[in-house]
Parts: sequence; C-alpha cells; structure tokens
Amino acid sequence: MTSGNDSKPAFSTRALFSLRAVALTVIILGGIILTQVSQIGTGAGFIVVGPRVFPTAIGIGILILGFLFLLRTTVVLDNDLVADVVSENATTDWTTTMLTLLSLVAYASLLHPLGYAIATAFFFPVIGRILGSTQLRRDIIVGVALGLVIYLAFTRVLGVRLPAGLLTGIL
Amino acid sequence: MDVLTNLLHGFASALTLQYLLLAALGVTLGTAIGVLPGIGPALTVALLLPLTYNFDPTGALIMFAGIYYGGMYGGSTTSILLNTPGESASVATTFEGFAMAKSGRGGAALATAAIGSFVAGTISTLLLTFVAPVIARLALLFQPADYFSLTVLAFMSVTALVGKSFLRGMVSLFIGLFIGLIGIDVLTGQPRLTFGLTELLDGIDVVVVAVGLFAVGEALYVASQMRHTKEEILPVKSRVGMTREEWRRSWPAWLRGTLIGFPFGALPAGGAEIPTFLSYTTEKRLSKNKAEWGHGAIEGVAGPEAANNAAFSGVLVPLLTLGLPTSATAAILLVAFQIYNLQPGPLLFQKSPELVWALIASLYIGNVMLLILNLPLIRIWIKILAIPRAVLYAGILVFGTLGVYSISNSFMDVMIMYAIGVLGFFMRRYGFPVGPTILGVILLPMAEAQFRRALSISQGDPSVFFTRPLSLGLLLAATAAVILPYIPALIARLRRKPVKVDRVVFGDGQED
Repeated sequence: MTSGNDSKPAFSTRALFSLRAVALTVIILGGIILTQVSQIGTGAGFIVVGPRVFPTAIGIGILILGFLFLLRTTVVLDNDLVADVVSENATTDWTTTMLTLLSLVAYASLLHPLGYAIATAFFFPVIGRILGSTQLRRDIIVGVALGLVIYLAFTRVLGVRLPAGLLTGIL
Repeated sequence: MDVLTNLLHGFASALTLQYLLLAALGVTLGTAIGVLPGIGPALTVALLLPLTYNFDPTGALIMFAGIYYGGMYGGSTTSILLNTPGESASVATTFEGFAMAKSGRGGAALATAAIGSFVAGTISTLLLTFVAPVIARLALLFQPADYFSLTVLAFMSVTALVGKSFLRGMVSLFIGLFIGLIGIDVLTGQPRLTFGLTELLDGIDVVVVAVGLFAVGEALYVASQMRHTKEEILPVKSRVGMTREEWRRSWPAWLRGTLIGFPFGALPAGGAEIPTFLSYTTEKRLSKNKAEWGHGAIEGVAGPEAANNAAFSGVLVPLLTLGLPTSATAAILLVAFQIYNLQPGPLLFQKSPELVWALIASLYIGNVMLLILNLPLIRIWIKILAIPRAVLYAGILVFGTLGVYSISNSFMDVMIMYAIGVLGFFMRRYGFPVGPTILGVILLPMAEAQFRRALSISQGDPSVFFTRPLSLGLLLAATAAVILPYIPALIARLRRKPVKVDRVVFGDGQED
C-alpha cells in the first residue's frame, strides 16, 4: 500500500505513518465519545430527544470520518496530502516546538505563585530566546514593561483581577 | 420611514464624544494589531475582549465594530507588503497586491485597498441598514425546525466550499461539534463528556477555543518552521495614492466587489472567504489587460478588498437578526453580546433598538475614521511590520494567555487553551482547516436546542424538517453546497474533456 510514489520513499513512509496515526486518533476519539455516552444520565421526566442523542450521533460521525480518513491514507491514497506532509516534515524543528510548549505550561503554572507581572517578565525573554531572538537585554526590558503595564492597566483601570503573587502589597 | 428615524437616533447616540472616542480607539487598536502578521480580526477581537468588561454594552460593541474594521484593513497591509495574509479572506489580496509591491507600486495597492474598503464598507452598511430590519421581521416566522436546518446549511457550506478536502473539513467540523457538546446539558442538567472534571461543567468558552486554535496553534506552527522561513518587507517607495488611470480601473472593481461581498457575507456560508476569491476571479475574467495579472493588476486588489469589507456588513445580518454567527469573528462578537446578556435574534431590534441602531450608525462612522486615520498613517503601520518575529510571537502568546486567564483567573482554562493550541498545531500540519471547528463549537448549542425543540413540537415526528417549506429549502441548499464543487469536473467528464481538478475550492480555510 505504501507504493513508492515518491522519489524519497523513506520520507514518504514517515509521512504515511504520521497520517495513519492521525486517522487512528480520530477513530479513538469517536470511541471515547461513544463509551462516555453511557455515563450521561437521562434526567428525570420524559423528553422527546434526550441528552444522549447528539453525543451518540457525533461519536458515530467521528468514528466513520476517522475510518474514511484511514482509507485515504491506505487504500485510496491522497497523494497531494502525503506530498504536503513530506515537505512539512523536512522543515519541522521539533525542539523549538516542544520548548515553546514547555515554557507555556511553565508560564501558566507560575502565574499564580509568582504573580502576573513577575511571571510575564520571566516568560517573555525566555520564549523570545526559544523563538530565535538574540537580543536578551531588549527582551528583558520589554518583558518587565509588559508585565507591569498589563498588570496595572487591568487591575487599576479596567477592573479585571490578576494575581499579584510575590508583589502583593507592593504593587 | 422608521428605518431613517431609527438610524438618526442611532447617529445621535453614536456621535457623542465618548462613543466617538471608543470608535477611534477600536479602529486604531484593530489596525495596529491587524497589521501584525498572523493575527486576523477574530483573534484581535478575542484578545481585546477583556478590555471591555467594564464598558456599557453599546460602547463595547461600537469599539468591537471598529476593531473588526481596523483588523481587516490592517490585514490587507500585511498581505500586500509581506505576502502573509492574516486570515483567509486576505489571501486573494496577496496575489496581485504583493506583485504590485514588488514592482514598486505598493503605495497604489495600499491606497486602493483603503479607499475600496471605505467605499464597500459604506455601501454595504447602507444595505445592512435597510435589509436587516426586513430580515428581522421575517425571522419572526422562523420555527425551531427552520433554525436547525439553517445551522445545517452553515455547517455544510463552510465545510464543502472552503478547504482542500471535504473529508478533512468534516473531521474538523465534528471535532468542533464534540468540543461544543462538553458541559452541562441545558435541557436536563446532565453533565456530558466532562470526563469527571468539574472545570468542564460550564463547557469550553469560545474565546478559549479561538485563542487556542489561532494564537497558540499558529505560534507553535511558526515555532516548528522557524528555521526555514525567511521574509522580506517590501519598502513603500512610491507615494501612497493612485493615479487617474488607477482610479478609473479601481472604481468598477470596488463596486463589483461590494455587490459580491455583501450577499455572500449575509448567507450562512462562512463570511468573507468565498466572496474575496469570487471577486478575484471575476475581475481577472473581465480585465482588458490580462497580461498584467500576476505582475500587479490593481483590480485584483481593489475587488477582493472591497468584497472583504462588504462581507463583514453582510455577516452582521444573520448575526443581528437570527443570532447566527457565520464566521469566527462573528462568533466572538456573539460572545461579546452574551457578556452583556444580550441575545442577538429577531427580538433584538425590538428589545434594544438604541443599541442596534447606535451600532449600525457607528459602522458608518468607523468607516470614515478608518479612511482618515489610515491613509496618512500608513507609514507608521508599516513600521509595525518591522517587529522581529520572535518578539511578535512572544507577544502573541503573552496576550493570548492573558485573554484566557483574565476570564476567570483559572489555570485550568489556560491549560485547556494550550491543549486546543496543540490540536490546532496538528490540524495545520496535516491540512485540516480550523474554520469548521470554530463554527462547530459555536453553532452546536443552537443546532441541538432547536433540533430538540422542533421534535418536541412535532411530538417526535422527524418529517417536520422536510415538510416545512423553509426548512426543506435550507436543507436542499445545504445539499447543493456539498455537490456544487464537483459540478465543473462532472460536466467536463460528461463532455469527455480532460478533468483539471476534481473539486473547485475557495480558499484554504485557515481563517483567523
């Protein structure tokens, strides 16, 4: 099924593998939804269309679509898509992507303990560095300024609550 | 004429100093953020939503209309000078716009975009003024079955007409429907698909989904391709303005673009994407200077930009009269309405006429402001383009996180948003359009509620969807939307001509 329609079969095998993984993920999602449906209570009283109808229909829909997509990655191969994915794969930089994601999670977890202003002042230069910025000093200044300005503007002017964290009582 | 009286009242309140300032602020912020590559109007509105929590509803909506207009206009600048459309509706502009900028005529391209947006915005707001009240009265006749069929039409037209693959569009749509299901069922109070997490009981906010897919998904994608993208900003050497010849060629394109944009925006077919491409092909076909296309034909900028702006006023028609958002930005605007406990729909015109008419009046004002602000300020906006990519996306992530965190200071909300961002990253990577996902999230509650209402009225008889003429018509239109893209290939096959493409596509479905 992985007929060599590409001059670099090794790359196209990888692309096919990831596309099939996507199809399987979609199928699994459909399965999860359908197993969850049984846990939905039907509620008291008589209702023509109960709370399970739409989840069931959508779960089945996702399952069918997942199988159809699996077909497009095996028997009836979507060559355009494979070519697109091959060229994506060639240029993908996973380290940067994962570091970006990790620093985002760290940022969100530090918002409350450190406070909005401090967490942002740290996050900005770090993420800037990950994304390829070389001017650390500028990024630190921008980060500190952003954190302070947003914090003060939101809490003092707009009346939106943000955590003060370590700076409680100072800001 | 009560429309005119209402409109005059609207102007009276929109022309107060406070609202004028808010409109000006909206237009300026919208343009500034819209100019940033990778940020379109939907994300702009979503990110600026927290700014308005303390405003009165009229003021907030006036500001949002300004942000939307500004965001759209800013997007055209990025398309022309950077060849990076902020949203799918600007893709058509890049073809000729970037070519014009490369041949040193960037100034003329920016001018025709700005003036064309003004012309189209004004004409289409005029159309909105007279069409919306009529539709609002008609909408009172809509029954639950018709509303359900209308959502089906919206789902099908967006999935079928936009994006490279119908199948992948459907997958995206169903993922959106799934996200829309999460939370407590309004009718029975039963939690659904919450996986035992109490944070999910209230469902996932549209803002969380939009910021996740557009801001975080986009940032992760850019991060993954960081080492392989280079870009150049084209300097605007020429004066920002047009020659007599360029005026002569732009006028008809603006008008045609407006006439294409407004009705397509008003149909539940996904906003500005289809009409911009349609306008582009129309202009190309009608052009007398065919050789110029691809090297910077001004009609190719004038038409799509006008269509883009006209479609926005069109999108407001179903949003205000039926409560039906047909684009991601319209969906975020709907969230803005709901923050103030306003439910757009047929009754909005009766219940809150002051607000509706002040909003419509402010659209006229916003258009004028955009023109006055932008032509002289274009050089300042261009400076924004010089912000390095790393700093830009760092900023987008800070503001995206802020937009979601400020809703309820919840760590969990931010985590859900990042998770949706990862989903958006993989969707982009494997060619799944994100537009249908957003639409699914937004419209699922309406589709389900109306479906259930329709069936309880008919006492469980599903034929109600096919026996009501309006509902049947909408369902037939939905079927037509699915079949339509295959027709040219079918005809070619019947005539035994070589088939070029199996399916006609409009745009790539990457709306943000």
